[in-house]
Amino acid sequence: MSLSMNLYLPIAGASVNCLAIFGLGGVVGLLSGIFGVGGGFLMTPLLIMLGIPPTVAAASDSNQIVGASTSGTLAHFRQGNVDIKMGLLLLIGGVAGGTLGVQIIALLRRMGNADFLISVTYVLMLGFVGGYMFLESLQAMRKTARRTSDEAPPKESLYAKTIRLMPFQVDFRRSGIQLSVLMPFLLGALVGILSAIMGVGGGFIMVPVMVYLLRMPMHVVVGTSLFQILFTCMNVTVMQAAKNHTVDFVLALLLLLGSALGAQAGAKIGKKLGGEHLKILLASLVLIVMVKMLYDLLARPDILLTYAGGH
Amino acid sequence: MYANLIAYCGRLILAVLILAAPDPASAATDALSLSPSAIVMGAQYSGVDLTVTGSVPVGADVIVRLTGTANELHLREKGKVFGLLWMNVGKVIATNVPSVYLVSGSRPLPQMGAGAAPYRLESLVGTIGVKQEGTDDLIDIPHELLRLKEHEGLYRESAEGVSLSAATGASQRFTAHIKVPPSLKPGEYRVEAIALKNGAVVGQSQTAIAAALTGFPKWLSELASQKSALYGIMATVVAIFSGLAIGLVCQSKKPH
Repeated sequence: MSLSMNLYLPIAGASVNCLAIFGLGGVVGLLSGIFGVGGGFLMTPLLIMLGIPPTVAAASDSNQIVGASTSGTLAHFRQGNVDIKMGLLLLIGGVAGGTLGVQIIALLRRMGNADFLISVTYVLMLGFVGGYMFLESLQAMRKTARRTSDEAPPKESLYAKTIRLMPFQVDFRRSGIQLSVLMPFLLGALVGILSAIMGVGGGFIMVPVMVYLLRMPMHVVVGTSLFQILFTCMNVTVMQAAKNHTVDFVLALLLLLGSALGAQAGAKIGKKLGGEHLKILLASLVLIVMVKMLYDLLARPDILLTYAGGH
Repeated sequence: MYANLIAYCGRLILAVLILAAPDPASAATDALSLSPSAIVMGAQYSGVDLTVTGSVPVGADVIVRLTGTANELHLREKGKVFGLLWMNVGKVIATNVPSVYLVSGSRPLPQMGAGAAPYRLESLVGTIGVKQEGTDDLIDIPHELLRLKEHEGLYRESAEGVSLSAATGASQRFTAHIKVPPSLKPGEYRVEAIALKNGAVVGQSQTAIAAALTGFPKWLSELASQKSALYGIMATVVAIFSGLAIGLVCQSKKPH
């Protein structure tokens, strides 16, 4: 046989073009390098569009994120940007949430609603994160345009009071904050469930959670998020492989090679572009993916039958 | 005792003779030959172009079909939830569903007359049974199932792909090209050739072809289903080491 670029994926039960998958990994990696997000929220829907079954796409993407976040964590750890204590607490919550999420998916597969749940979770999360980011960066751009210098000191909200009154307060030195240990645990569990269902590292949910809910400084957020994502996705990969047989290792490896190289190029490009414009671009991208998925849910399907899940 | 044995042997010999004797229908078409003779699903498998050759009486039309075993199939019916979102609602069980049905003719099947009708893709609507209906009575399940399978490339009817060569004596050779889709599952498949004249079947012959995973896909598929926990751990470990390797290479090139 001559140099054929086709590769047969026995787990997905599909023949794919190596270059297409490698390229997809590269493009998503490039975007994630530019915008500083994991990119899983883009990868899974794009894989589904390429004809990979949704459950296999989500599980294999978790596998891919294990590799991608390993190299990211390594880099941030060397710069001292990983809050290990916070990361471990988020992790324990994340593992508990991830395990629960895999069980939910297995149950829903038997009931036939897994693919639907993945789609709905996507639409909601993409809409929320995309919309929030869009509005926030729009406000930031208006502010810089007006050049207002007087910033009101932040008032202590009800949320901040509640956090302070929670039991088991602990000092997180690397992040420079004081919090109840319950906070990272519960938020970690929430992100873990979502990440198992969606097959994403949870970065695009975890980062806003750490910035807005845990109020950690941005540079520590990125490193700690990657550290936490690495272990959550390891757990999800092993669980999905053992329970649902949905991890396509070849697919994951191809994506990983593409995304790692893309991320390196993306990081260089990202430095040359303006911050707020980047955010708006990313938010638009996220919203476009959301609209496409929403359309699929709202429009009448072409074929009114589908295969029942499970083997 | 001996009489029994002799009678038994006699019946056995008779049975062998009957089996060996060509039945009148297959006399009209001789054995089919397939190229390749087996579907090998290796690392680079992307479907296969199956060539079927045989001979039919001069002036006959030819239908060539590849079919998979008929099984019960569990399906989900889509319906609107809250009158808004399309999702899987009802359970449907269809019976006697061939896993694959690829049929092609030397000319369009509807033009071949009544004899060709049972071989048409549409005829499956009549043979597929529905054991359990979904919630929506309006959905024509066999029809939707045909469309689902057609969409996957597992069901197909085409008027092309079978060509006849010049007649030699009373028979004529034909060559059929069947595009076997990559979505085909490993298993046994049946290849048949049917000769029709004036709308009636005048000859029929069949052979079998096996599709099997081989090499790396076989190894990976067995590992993933039989030692799934080990497979998951292996996938994770390889991803970590790939990530570390890529991270180290890229950082040595470009220190932060």
